[in-house]
Amino acid sequence: MTPVPARSAQTPRFANDAERECARLLDFYGVPWEYEPRTFALTEGEDGRVTEAFTPDFYLPEQDLYVEVTVMKQTLVTRKNRKLRKLRARYPNVRIKLFYRRDIERLAQRFRLDFAR
Amino acid sequence: MRELGAQVAGDYEGLDPVLVAPLKGSLFFVADLSRAIRAVHELDFVELAGYGGAAPGGHEHVRLLKDLNAPIEGRHVLVVEDVVDTGLTLNYLRKLLELRQPASLGIATLLDRPYRRLVDDLPVRYVGFVVPDEYFVGYGFDLDERHRNLPELRVAEFRRT
Repeated sequence: MTPVPARSAQTPRFANDAERECARLLDFYGVPWEYEPRTFALTEGEDGRVTEAFTPDFYLPEQDLYVEVTVMKQTLVTRKNRKLRKLRARYPNVRIKLFYRRDIERLAQRFRLDFAR
Repeated sequence: MRELGAQVAGDYEGLDPVLVAPLKGSLFFVADLSRAIRAVHELDFVELAGYGGAAPGGHEHVRLLKDLNAPIEGRHVLVVEDVVDTGLTLNYLRKLLELRQPASLGIATLLDRPYRRLVDDLPVRYVGFVVPDEYFVGYGFDLDERHRNLPELRVAEFRRT
């Protein structure tokens, strides 16, 4: 008997090929996911309006984990890392990880994937 | 390897465990680990179709290319993996094996990248080495199905075209 792979109900409009590939990968391994289900306010102005926010790409309900996909090289993700640090500081109970191009490549065992950069 | 073998032998003494190795990356590791375990145990193998992305002929869902030879219900199962990264593959395999109601299910891995984990509740009990975010070949690790036979682990470097 084989576990039935999970798939999200509707295919959303992804921002880039890496996100699409990530969704395909999660479907392949039967991991349920939601696309951009929540936006986190990071900073507010004096008037209370949100001046900086962050919307992680995926939420994995079984892992209670948000995943941000990055197509950039790991050395060039400073800006995203800064946002992740802010998010973790403000929402310490929220679990979030970066998912790199390399993770997909490793699982794909291919090294010439042509993702949008 | 001797340390890992002794640990496993001590933990599974008298339990007659089944070492389950996913092909093909763990081939050399399980061969060495099995010989280092001074306790009675069985060996079995599974093979999963790897993720092929959107490549033509790729599969939409993970599936078994080779199933276990024997039932594992009531048995103590130790999955012997070459490397744990995101944990997606092992998570699938764990769910698949748990449906067969083993007495226990643990994981031994030669290499571990815990900082890459997406599924982090895996029962990883034995770790050879925590390694940096490099791609390895040799000792069972391949590049396009080649170089598995290299006797030691080497770091591969890639030049993007």
